[in-house]
Amino acid sequence: MKKIAIGGGQGFWGDSPDAAIHMIRKADIQYLACDYLAELTLSIMARQKIKDPTKGFAPDFVTRLLKEAGREAFEKKIRIVTNAGGMNVQGCVDSIKSWAEAENLKGYKIGYVTGDDIKDKIPQLIADGWEFPSMDTAGSNDTSGVRFEDIKDKIYNCNAYIGHEQIQKAIADGADTVITGRAADSALFLAPFAHEFGWADDDWDNLARGIMAGHLLECGGQGAGGNFMYDWRSVPDMEHLGFPIAEITEDTFEITKAPDCGGLITEQSVKEQFLYEVLDPANYYTPDVNVDISHATVTQKGENRVSVGGIKGNERPDTIKLCVGYHKGWKTVSMLSFAWPDAYEKARYCADVIMKKMQERGMKADDVHISFIGLDSLHLGVADKSPETIARLNECVMRIAVFSEDKAECAKIIPEISPLQLNGPQGASFFGGRAHVQEVMALYPTVIPRDALKVESHILTV
Amino acid sequence: MPRIYLYDIAHGRSGDKGDTSNVCVFARKPEYYDIILREATPENLKNYFGDMVKGDITRYEVASLNGMNFVMHHALGGGATMSLRLDSLGKSMGSAVMRMKINVSKEELESLLESGVKLMPFEDPYAEEK
Repeated sequence: MKKIAIGGGQGFWGDSPDAAIHMIRKADIQYLACDYLAELTLSIMARQKIKDPTKGFAPDFVTRLLKEAGREAFEKKIRIVTNAGGMNVQGCVDSIKSWAEAENLKGYKIGYVTGDDIKDKIPQLIADGWEFPSMDTAGSNDTSGVRFEDIKDKIYNCNAYIGHEQIQKAIADGADTVITGRAADSALFLAPFAHEFGWADDDWDNLARGIMAGHLLECGGQGAGGNFMYDWRSVPDMEHLGFPIAEITEDTFEITKAPDCGGLITEQSVKEQFLYEVLDPANYYTPDVNVDISHATVTQKGENRVSVGGIKGNERPDTIKLCVGYHKGWKTVSMLSFAWPDAYEKARYCADVIMKKMQERGMKADDVHISFIGLDSLHLGVADKSPETIARLNECVMRIAVFSEDKAECAKIIPEISPLQLNGPQGASFFGGRAHVQEVMALYPTVIPRDALKVESHILTV
Repeated sequence: MPRIYLYDIAHGRSGDKGDTSNVCVFARKPEYYDIILREATPENLKNYFGDMVKGDITRYEVASLNGMNFVMHHALGGGATMSLRLDSLGKSMGSAVMRMKINVSKEELESLLESGVKLMPFEDPYAEEK
């Protein structure tokens, strides 16, 4: 029976390429799919591209992954699918072409998919009466929030989450590597399966299986023992953490990993990733299919091998998710550290002193968040702040984060921090250096009609 | 009534979609699932988190996995990009959920301990009764 195996080679832009390289060398896979794009990544890439038009994609896909193991993948006919194109698919394609020429890989086929970046179409969609409804308040009684009208002049990027069809076409056209911009993470994985098994675009149950294979792989190591709450101590050889591999036949769906690497594939590790960021398990919306995993099963089949079943699919939505990144304002983060005795009390007092000073300076902050690293900066209101814990605290870092739409207001706090080392409560020391003003970008999640998109695939032969 | 951490009998993972935090929770053993369903209600979580979670909390049960998804709106101080929190992505929301103390009967506690549940060190389930 035909079996197709895909490796998940990357969890985000900045992830290690080691596991992907290892899979190309050691795993029995036919495809490698690499997800580089988190929600905010495109806004960061858009800003880079504004400064330098040759940037705006994930160059490490070429400079690290392809350079190290691209030739071997080509020789073994392991085809690679990735959204490393980000905001500059053409730039990424050019970079791959240069690499393939330098490697003398004659006939190397670069497939690429365009049409996710619709920033130029916004005025027309507005003119057509599309209202860009906010998805932020969906499912919540809370109706506070930003309107599209408020942000339309501050937009950095506007990208639709495209589905698997044109990626599949590029694969069918013989691409050795397929580059996309904002394809849905899981579409990168669904496309090879749909191509190999000939799944129709309305074969909802099978499409849903392909999507869930992608879902279990798109976060890289997190699907193979990384970030594993069940028993993090039990994960072997974490310095060589393997990434997960999905093996699919017409009837079966299993998760495993490459030989000779760390990490683990167990019922628990797969389950933790299975519902991750899915929201309603009966309605997990993707551009390709509305997935229902509310009756799914996850069963250990052997060492580092887990079987997944009971996945259903329903008709895909008429609308496509759109990710709009826009300029929101500015922030600074300032820190000072304190040691026992009275570490927390001194840090708290120091924060009060600084905020009183800022009041006198007339700082107009839109938001201020004060927390204490070592005590409550992560668990906030549910952290243990009992008198015993506070009294025994070895050390504590005061952290003040300030947000303002006005850059100058945000910067006012910067020179007021270091003087507290001599002028404040006993024992303050600088932590992390002088603060600097950072731009705050925000996301406006919305939808557009499917037919507003013109997604196309292309092939460039080296 | 004895109180233990949800973590003692459950595991899970947190993720984010904008300002929405998604925490999945699974029973460490199938026989613990009913206790989790009874104790980790959206109402109890909402009370537990107080100001930290400003919107609604919805629980989606997946019995076939002995698990559930908690979807918590306006829970991340504005969400990944805008939040001023150190943990702007809410990676710690999973362990924050697991830190909730839940009520178990004396008999339940005894059978949990018998089935291999290891309580967190230095924690006494009867501390609040003393």
